[in-house]
Amino acid sequence: MGSYYDIDAILTDAQKVPCTFDLDIPGLGYLDENAGGDIKAGTRVSLPLWLSTLLAVQRLGPSSQQLCTLDLPASISPRVLAALKAGPKTVDLRQLASHYYELAARVLELFEEEEIVDVLGETFKERAAEIADHAHNPRGALGEAQDFLRGLDEMERQLFRSAHGSSNAMREWMGETKKKR
Amino acid sequence: MDIDDILAEVDSHAVPPATRDLQELTRAWVTERSAPEILPWPDMLMERILERLRRQIELVEEQTGNTDPKANFRLIIIQTELERFKFLVRSFLRARIAKIDAHALHHLTDPSTKARLSPSELQYATAHTSLLHAHYHSSFLSQFPTSLQRMDDTAGGISMVEGPDVDKAVFVRALKDVEEPVYVEGTDTAFDMRRGDVVVVRWSAVREVVMAGDAELI
Amino acid sequence: MYGDHAFKLVQHAKRTQALVHLPHYQTELVRETTREVRDLDKDVSNILAPFEGSFNPSSEPATACSVLVNHLCMRRNKRCLLAYHRVRSDKLEEMCWSGKDILDQEQQAGRQGNGEGSGMASEAGNQSSLSPEEEEYIRQYGDMLAAYKGQWTDIDLTGSLEPPRDLFIDVRVLKDAGEIQTEYGAITLTKNSQFFVRQGDVERLIAQGYLQKLS
Repeated sequence: MGSYYDIDAILTDAQKVPCTFDLDIPGLGYLDENAGGDIKAGTRVSLPLWLSTLLAVQRLGPSSQQLCTLDLPASISPRVLAALKAGPKTVDLRQLASHYYELAARVLELFEEEEIVDVLGETFKERAAEIADHAHNPRGALGEAQDFLRGLDEMERQLFRSAHGSSNAMREWMGETKKKR
Repeated sequence: MDIDDILAEVDSHAVPPATRDLQELTRAWVTERSAPEILPWPDMLMERILERLRRQIELVEEQTGNTDPKANFRLIIIQTELERFKFLVRSFLRARIAKIDAHALHHLTDPSTKARLSPSELQYATAHTSLLHAHYHSSFLSQFPTSLQRMDDTAGGISMVEGPDVDKAVFVRALKDVEEPVYVEGTDTAFDMRRGDVVVVRWSAVREVVMAGDAELI
Repeated sequence: MYGDHAFKLVQHAKRTQALVHLPHYQTELVRETTREVRDLDKDVSNILAPFEGSFNPSSEPATACSVLVNHLCMRRNKRCLLAYHRVRSDKLEEMCWSGKDILDQEQQAGRQGNGEGSGMASEAGNQSSLSPEEEEYIRQYGDMLAAYKGQWTDIDLTGSLEPPRDLFIDVRVLKDAGEIQTEYGAITLTKNSQFFVRQGDVERLIAQGYLQKLS
């Protein structure tokens, strides 16, 4: 869920997922760019995670009326998943969502989608290895490498930075110990 | 000196108390820097260390101005050691303050964590928290409806008060054969730790072993 | 949409984390976000007014939903505001620990438009990048830190966190720093001169940018 004060957790929560309202709600038209109006049952709007996930799990009244239903966001649609399966390193995750894995993790908590979980797990593993490779052996700003690094999601970027930092620190330390001897 | 020599020394009582204090301080410093949560304040050790620092500082002050080259050389050695001690204590205290600041409310509200702070750390945490809340209050919070002004709300699926991540990975070395196997909670993993073994594992799994002094973080 | 101002604040916070200096306080965004909370709260009161305190969410799911959305928006704004202020106060505290006189630098930046050396001044322009509340906060935090440090006079709590290597170091004077007292007598630090001094005596001046350590 991420920590209350954590900026990345808050940005994760700002990412939107499609949801469909299951009943008429007066006064909520502003969610559908219709300020002052109402929301009709069946209206599909994109709402940030901090709103949609909490609305989707509400059950009200004796009939356990649901307020709205979540759909899977486009960033984990079958089309994207097929691309990830075919070539995990060629997909620009950042363009799909800045906090891609976190978004998927939050949504998938609410869905039974083992296969998507597996695909994303594999994707992360493959890409993490590539990230580590780039971090330890910088090849400058060459075309393909640059495209790959630009398409990293926020978590992958942080991974890259810490891998790069540790590789530098290691080199520095080795250099220092050599000097002493 | 290799690992076994160091390990052998740990149990030995032949080590002079001053050297043992330095070892203990060094270990406390490494542990505090590596463990995700704050550790109990070592008040006896700190008292001895600070007393020793005070004596050395006095000695340096008395001897300064002594032009005898031998005394002067001795002074430089003492001062070098003094700087190293000061660094260890400073870095140790700062590591603790950083943890307290990161989760101030947790350190003030969770009784077992609160008990690990020194009196002056507790004072610092209390004062810092109230300053910070006053700052939020004067910046915007005072204009909120009263029901939303709390700083320790847990509604909406996320708690405002949180502690450190005790499942963070740590590097740990066994100082002796650990009798009970170590279990990693929530997994099927269990393993024995023999003296000299080094493992990478969640802090929560080895916390007890480290606190008991049977293993150390590295 | 509600939460948009708050979102901008958090984006600012994200950028702030990556910067050395502290960018301008977003007075307007903070005000808008706070106003939104008050408006939403009024909304809730208006929605619930007809029920005269006997509102039953189960029998009025649609109304309950409106109220819930409003509540979630208010909480979201609160979280964003707190996180934004926390990122900034963390940064200010860090500056306090490293011995920078933030308020003084801010005033200088205000007068000169461009102070020297300090990262904070570069973007400060004509006015302080701190809010008045932040200035007050950092003043009080500084006092508190001084009090805490006072209990550790032998240690110099805000001293260097680099392990000491040499007792004595070579330093070059970058700015006139006046006279300092050492155990070997007083030294006058004039610009461009070089000295061999005890590290502990000059650490503070190095941190403040008066001296440069030569390796």
